[in-house]
Amino acid sequence: MEFRRPGTVILACLLLATGCATGCATAGAGERASPPKPATPAAPVVVQVSASHCGEGWTNPHAGQQTLMLTNTGDAPSGADLIGVPGGAVHAELEGLGPGVTRPMRVSLAQGTYAIRCEIDERDPITGPSVTITGAGAGGPATTPITYADLFAPAKHYGEYVAGGLDTLLARTKTLARAVDRGDLAAARKAWLPAHLAYESLGSAYGTFGDFDGSINGGPAGLPGGVHDKDFTGLHRVEYGLWHDESAKKLRPITDRLLKDVKSLHDDFPDERLDPGDLPLRAHEILENTLRFELTGRSDEGSGTTLATTAANVKGTRVTIGVLRPLLDDRYPGLKQVDEHLDRLDGLLAAQHHGGTWTPVDRLDPRVRESINGAVSGLLEELAPIAEILFPRRTK
Amino acid sequence: MSGHNRRTFLTGALATGIAGAAGTRARAARPAAAEAGPPPVPGFHGPHQAGILNAPRRRTIVTAFDVIAGGKDELRELFRTLTDRARALTTGGVPPELGITAPPADSGVLGPSLPAGALTVTLGLGASLFDDRYGLASRKPAGLAEMPVFPNDDLDPAWCHGDLSLQLEADDDDTLLHALRDIARHTRGAMQVRWRMNGFTSPPRPSGTQRNLMGFKDGIANPETKNAAEMDRLVWIRDDKPDTSWATGGTYVVYRLIRMLVEFWDRVGLSEQEQMFGRTKDGGAPLDGVHEQDVPRYERDPVGKVIPVTSHIRLANPRKPETDDSRILRRSFNYDKGVDEVGNLDVGLLFSCFQQDLHRQFEAVQMRLVNEPLVDYITPFGGGYFLAVPGVRDATSSYAQNILL
Repeated sequence: MEFRRPGTVILACLLLATGCATGCATAGAGERASPPKPATPAAPVVVQVSASHCGEGWTNPHAGQQTLMLTNTGDAPSGADLIGVPGGAVHAELEGLGPGVTRPMRVSLAQGTYAIRCEIDERDPITGPSVTITGAGAGGPATTPITYADLFAPAKHYGEYVAGGLDTLLARTKTLARAVDRGDLAAARKAWLPAHLAYESLGSAYGTFGDFDGSINGGPAGLPGGVHDKDFTGLHRVEYGLWHDESAKKLRPITDRLLKDVKSLHDDFPDERLDPGDLPLRAHEILENTLRFELTGRSDEGSGTTLATTAANVKGTRVTIGVLRPLLDDRYPGLKQVDEHLDRLDGLLAAQHHGGTWTPVDRLDPRVRESINGAVSGLLEELAPIAEILFPRRTK
Repeated sequence: MSGHNRRTFLTGALATGIAGAAGTRARAARPAAAEAGPPPVPGFHGPHQAGILNAPRRRTIVTAFDVIAGGKDELRELFRTLTDRARALTTGGVPPELGITAPPADSGVLGPSLPAGALTVTLGLGASLFDDRYGLASRKPAGLAEMPVFPNDDLDPAWCHGDLSLQLEADDDDTLLHALRDIARHTRGAMQVRWRMNGFTSPPRPSGTQRNLMGFKDGIANPETKNAAEMDRLVWIRDDKPDTSWATGGTYVVYRLIRMLVEFWDRVGLSEQEQMFGRTKDGGAPLDGVHEQDVPRYERDPVGKVIPVTSHIRLANPRKPETDDSRILRRSFNYDKGVDEVGNLDVGLLFSCFQQDLHRQFEAVQMRLVNEPLVDYITPFGGGYFLAVPGVRDATSSYAQNILL
């Protein structure tokens, strides 16, 4: 189950910005700027984004819902945040505003003091003049931005969890491979699920595993030969064979390859950096995949254990939220509800765990299946804001 | 159809009955349709089929069929029947009265008289029709192939390929269902439905190009259909080889059934969504522009700080001289086919595009899009490649009449 969503795009932008923090802090005095016409009461408010005129043009500030037109009058691409003063909570943002481009920024502001912060490519951020808003009018949410570095500690903790999980995966894969080696397919069927769950509980790390994710846990989708394609390898390929009466002779090269790939992943992992920017995305993406591939039964190649996989994915989600918790506690009021709903989901799943077996999703009572689907779907709505709240908005 | 003389008789009777009214009714319908707003449906006869260059109607049904005709003669008869039915259904008129010895000639879904100019029918041939069943192997143009599996696909064989494709378009669902039911009735025994997908277009929200179900305007940058030279360069097939010259005036059509994971998509922030497409969500402008028709200026943004180099629009059409001849004529619809096993909406895009050369155009675009960020939110699960045959020239001609030796 792959993750391709790019936390790395964020990283690239930020590295460019931080790369400049030491050397190019002087504001461009010679920057061309052609201020737009002053706003009349009827015209939209046009606010400049540039090194020399950042935030200028925000006239007639007022409370309530409004649209500011932000126009990049400089000569470099720029981001722009509307921030609270002091404190720097972000109320609205635009990314990648090109030179000469004007785009709307929609925001609701209560009375208070605000400013536009211009994040010009390859420069330190510049904060424009403070604007004070008085009068009645409801404000919208704001968030205290985090920096990329704030995610280092969570990523380190998650990396330690993954390293431990890979030890478990390797040990359990060896057990599986040995069973196939000696031709004991009953033992292999018993050993398959623990190995698979060891992998499935790693959650947020898949994006870091690169091609190993496909070779160790990929499905037949996108392969011309389907389940018989030579590039269909790994745990699900072994599952297919074990539950479709394939012989030990046929399975041996497949489990050998699996063990080889798991060993390589295990040995490479210390060198594979877990991208800190991925973690906030994974808070909901692990369960997005669960809903799509496990609860539909789509990833099942015969063992009927996708609810066990779901429980392992919930574990990976819990660890992800756990390492992010210090950042989330003051920023996400919905966190308590997330915890409650994770507990409820675990309870629903535990009821389908009978000793060593799990109810296959297609044999669930329809109402029970609805409850599980709905619990995951509801959690996803509550987890998705974490990706927005913990998007690294500040460089330092 | 084989052995069903009753149906063959019916075909003849229906075709004759309606053809009598054809010429006058079709012409009479035009001015009224023009006043009503949507552009008139092109007439049935011509060098190219209708339903390709004209703007998409509000509704479509794309159906793939497998041919089960018993031999070359029955295949010829199938093409003749398809032609007769398409001509009759698009032209309109009063169906014939078959009398006391047969059920009614028409389902009656559209009332006693079929409306004129409400429908287009576009027929395509799949590569599988040119296998050894009908001795057509030598007649297959070199460019016609079976749709391959692309790296991000999750194809379901039940939703792929087919010997024939039939795209019906109209503004109303009853017009489409009437037509499909009529065509299926008249061709029973000669072809069987393999898969079918209904689609709809959306009105401008609030203006400009229609939005897809991800909320983004889709199909903004399309070749200019009124530019005949551009159509000759990008859309129409020209084939001078004697065995395959019949394809001249046709075009290759790609159908792709692409599920959109809209629940997941709705859980992604606006800025990230816009960076994936490369356009603003509200107005559809490229991220470096103001209006939806503004041309992105990638040369000013070489590393993609404003429009990411991985964005959909930038990969699909890099706007470079060397990629100009890979442009395709997109003509997409949305689909809505219920819910999946976990209660998520099963909706997405009934993508279709027309081009002169599948490899040079669609496949080049598709390979540039492999692993684009958007692939996490979509699942291509079906479709196929077809050759939309040249148009039916006149009342004495039929589809594909030059294919069969």
